[in-house]
Amino acid sequence: MSAWVWLAVLVVGGLGAIGRFLLDSLISGRAGRELPYGTFTINMLGALLLGLLAGLALAPTLYTIAGTATIGSFTTFSTWMFETQRLAEDSEIRRAVLNTVASLAAGFAIALLGHAIGVGL
Amino acid sequence: MNEDALKLTTYFGERDRAGGRLLGDELLDVYGGHGLQASVLLRGAEGFGRLAHLHTDRLLTLSEDLPVVSVAVDTRPRIESLLDRVLEVKRKGLITLERARLLSGEIGAVRLPERLGEATKLTVYVGRQERVAGAPAFVAVTDLLRRRGLDGATALLGVDGTRHGRRARARFFARNAGVPMMVIAVGAGERIAELLPELGRLLPEPLLTLERVRVCKRDGELLATPQELPGSDEHGLAMWQKLMVHMSNAATHDGQPLHQAIVRRLRESGAAGATTLRGVWGFHGEHPPHGDRLLQIRRHVPSLTIAIDTPARTALAFAIIDELTREHGLVTSEMVPAFQALGENGGEGGLRLARHEL
Repeated sequence: MSAWVWLAVLVVGGLGAIGRFLLDSLISGRAGRELPYGTFTINMLGALLLGLLAGLALAPTLYTIAGTATIGSFTTFSTWMFETQRLAEDSEIRRAVLNTVASLAAGFAIALLGHAIGVGL
Repeated sequence: MNEDALKLTTYFGERDRAGGRLLGDELLDVYGGHGLQASVLLRGAEGFGRLAHLHTDRLLTLSEDLPVVSVAVDTRPRIESLLDRVLEVKRKGLITLERARLLSGEIGAVRLPERLGEATKLTVYVGRQERVAGAPAFVAVTDLLRRRGLDGATALLGVDGTRHGRRARARFFARNAGVPMMVIAVGAGERIAELLPELGRLLPEPLLTLERVRVCKRDGELLATPQELPGSDEHGLAMWQKLMVHMSNAATHDGQPLHQAIVRRLRESGAAGATTLRGVWGFHGEHPPHGDRLLQIRRHVPSLTIAIDTPARTALAFAIIDELTREHGLVTSEMVPAFQALGENGGEGGLRLARHEL
């Protein structure tokens, strides 16, 4: 990969992380605290967009920048797991299981949907 | 030493700054510089203030700027001499002053005045790694308090503070042996008076305070409602009230952790603020002492939720807490004789002590 691709990955990767922080603050500040809705929304949005980009069959470089770098840094596996562990720690075992299963099931379906839309476009 | 003392407590956000430095560091520098008998900086787990912004360690992005509480105790003249300096650096959040009795060194027999008889709050300051009788000091102290039949005790870990005038601050790669911890206990005055000499013999350098408190609920049983206070004393100085709920982190209400349910409902009701601190060890009511175990999923540490408000709003807050603590929790109430709330849009209250005979 050329130097400018690395540079682009650096920049959009940072933007993806900032986007996640802002969106999570916005959602967490408004939605209920029963479940980590912010992280859920971000991961679902990421799955949809990544599915879409894959479906569009972009050029490899563009896909690296838009997909791996942007969506990769926007979505977060670690926060999802951390917040699930925090739920379990507070004796909310049912919500911890729900947070895991709902994210997996919905995430898979949404990625599939994104892919189908991308292929159709 | 056995003296009349003042307890200065400040509530603020972890990220609040004073002149480019963190407010917590700045305040503890003031306390350390004055060589205060006892002071401790505690990190909260959840809370909100007058702007009703909720901060919680439950969600990653909301765990920025968690609530922080600093407590400073010394004789009245020594606390009064640093009030101006504290107000200079602390321009946001809440400050309260409460009367306490400070005991250190040789602990002789203590006669708690009759009117103190209702119940007493005992706070013992120990070092994080201090060991007595082959056990961590906070465990040994908590166990003694339980054996002597107190209603409850919660051990809270400090991150900075002073004991006997010496500053000790927690660092990442260190044993942090002398960093102060506090064990807050509640029980009948006579029982506490009886066990004090024993506590004095247990600890090499005892340092503790006694305050007046009312035990309102224990394990779901309603014992008394908070004192009915007028809004101000006979000199027109405003009074406030403090409710404290000792509970287990594992206690739930409708599937939600009890301390979270309390903070959420208080916030919805328009209360002035509430802060939850998570302890490391403790007991309340009939429950055996509880803390964390290795590789457990649920945390069994104690939690302590504190809410300070006007007497009128405290009555409303107590109604909410009473409803939520149907099965669990030790609820106490205290009078707060001086309270000052500071914020960008001005403040409320003042730091002259109100006087009211209960």
